[in-house]
Amino acid sequence: MFALRNTMRGGAARAVFRSPVAQVAPRRTAATQNMPENAARDILVKQRLNRPVSPHLGIYRPQITWYGSALNRITASILSGGFYIFGFSYLIAPLFGWDLSSQRLAKSFGSLPKPVKVGTKMLLAFPFTYHSLNGVRHLAWDLGYGFSNKAVMQTGWATVAASVASSLGLAFV
Amino acid sequence: MASVIRPTLLRQAFAAPSKRVLSTSTIASSAFKSSTLSSRRPLQSALAQDALPKSARIAAFHGTGSRMILPPLPQRIQGTVNDPASVPDPTPAHGSYHWTFERIVAAGLVPLTIAPFAAGSLNPLTDATLCALVLIHSHIGFESIIIDYVPTHRMPGVRKLFMWGLKLATLLVGVGLYEFETNDVGVTEAVKRIWKA
Amino acid sequence: MPHSADKRGSFTRLEARLRLRRPHQQLQRSNLQERARSPGIQDLHNQRARPEKGSKIKTFHIYRWNPDEPTQKPRMQSYTLDLNKTGPMMLDALIRIKNEVDPTLTFRRSCREGICGSCAMNIDGINTLACLCRIPTDTKKASRIYPLPHTYVVKDLVPDLTQFYKQYRSIKPYLQRSTPPPDGREYRQSKAERKKLDGLYECILCACCSTSCPSYWWNSEEYLGPAVLLQSYRWIADSRDEKKAERKDALNNSMSLYRCHTILNCSRTCPKGLNPALAIAEIKKSMAFT
Repeated sequence: MFALRNTMRGGAARAVFRSPVAQVAPRRTAATQNMPENAARDILVKQRLNRPVSPHLGIYRPQITWYGSALNRITASILSGGFYIFGFSYLIAPLFGWDLSSQRLAKSFGSLPKPVKVGTKMLLAFPFTYHSLNGVRHLAWDLGYGFSNKAVMQTGWATVAASVASSLGLAFV
Repeated sequence: MASVIRPTLLRQAFAAPSKRVLSTSTIASSAFKSSTLSSRRPLQSALAQDALPKSARIAAFHGTGSRMILPPLPQRIQGTVNDPASVPDPTPAHGSYHWTFERIVAAGLVPLTIAPFAAGSLNPLTDATLCALVLIHSHIGFESIIIDYVPTHRMPGVRKLFMWGLKLATLLVGVGLYEFETNDVGVTEAVKRIWKA
Repeated sequence: MPHSADKRGSFTRLEARLRLRRPHQQLQRSNLQERARSPGIQDLHNQRARPEKGSKIKTFHIYRWNPDEPTQKPRMQSYTLDLNKTGPMMLDALIRIKNEVDPTLTFRRSCREGICGSCAMNIDGINTLACLCRIPTDTKKASRIYPLPHTYVVKDLVPDLTQFYKQYRSIKPYLQRSTPPPDGREYRQSKAERKKLDGLYECILCACCSTSCPSYWWNSEEYLGPAVLLQSYRWIADSRDEKKAERKDALNNSMSLYRCHTILNCSRTCPKGLNPALAIAEIKKSMAFT
């Protein structure tokens, strides 16, 4: 045994490293160092500051679930925004001498060309029908109904279809 | 044989420790390193199915998902990994009561929305109720949007400004609608007249 | 050159591959001369370098970011694999890429059978476990693999879930009781009571649902997210737990629970087929008049 070890010193050792045994079972060692807990945490804190946020909106697959939900909020904003703008304008109208009475509004709306009228009605009717129908869906969910994936997808697309159809109907009234 | 080699290898490893202080990566004497590297390379090139030229394989990342208005902050974690996230004090007025109230309002809007279509018009009292419920519903909706997109911990001042701005807006709109309800024909009737104009 | 470009498959691709190979091959040959290598590897090399008939080459675009180069922006890197030589699941493809093409590619994996939740990632736009996700066999369409959305990236496909785990800890995910069991031995449940936990206890906390929720994307600091709320309901629904009121109180504020807007991405994406949205709805219902 001693003799063997002696032969392995120096140049002979290199030959041994190239032997298949050394390649099949490479032995790795890791250099580690003890450090106080605070210092280790500081390194982690510094690393965290560099981390990017993974992509989200741009890469998530468009699905009726979250697209429908986003549409719900957008349509709500259009309706409520319009509602607020009208309410506020009506309040300040006397200050600027505007006439926002329903009579005057109906008259000026009636004088618009037909395509513009239909278009405007469509732009207001769709948010109204979609938000209303989707609101019913939300109320059903709040009672605990319609949570299966199949039901969610079916009612989601049904809501879109029904709101497009009904808003078209309303636009041509 | 292996048992003979091991002490020598160990000695070699200790003779040349890694210079990187925090490294947990493997270190080895130069002879050992070259042997592992060269033994891996032919395998890699033999099995790799890399068909594209290297320049084409790496594309700059262009996710459209970056938020331009409010980009996420660098990561900061409160406390250690093993501390629980902080639990806020219960405030039912912003929690369960709020939710229940909102659902009652929303549920109340359902018949009031159908009624004008069914009856053709609404009497002033029902019309005013609809108007008030829509106002409350809108206020809660806007509030929800502010809570979602203007986080308190990040922009406490802006959040307060938005919330008070919304309260003022709702109040003014409420007064405006009161004027409209009392001086004009009512919201449903007005919409009907304009729609049919 | 040992190989002549033969006439099947696309020429440009083939040529590109051969060109890419050349330096390696030379290097390898010199290695071979230097050392006595087993002939098996050389055979394998010659066999594999030639494109085979009917090979199904699929491209994978994978999100890469290396913390050792923090100034570099994240990027997408493309890899191609022959599906005939790859296992059926996305995790097989990733492991093969790591083993054979690029050992620097980093991702978490453990059980490879959908029970550990380690390999959760965004594959072709939806969050799922790589080990439960089949590779789409349509080779014309490339697959895109990202880390879980809107998470801080540790490296490549490895997201930092510290906040997620801290939130899980905050809901006290263990049985809380102050009274001893009536028979002095164990806390008994009827079959009906036990049945309420089905669909809840199976959650493996892979974070697929939480990171699919837009509400959680914007407010993960305060909103608990679907996974943690489902876990919370698992204890609220447990007949043996005696701290239900406290559990509900902890959720009774505008952020922890009520940032859920029933978007339903969570239930849609759950790789275990659970329904976090329903669990959240049940919590809301049970808290409605308290």
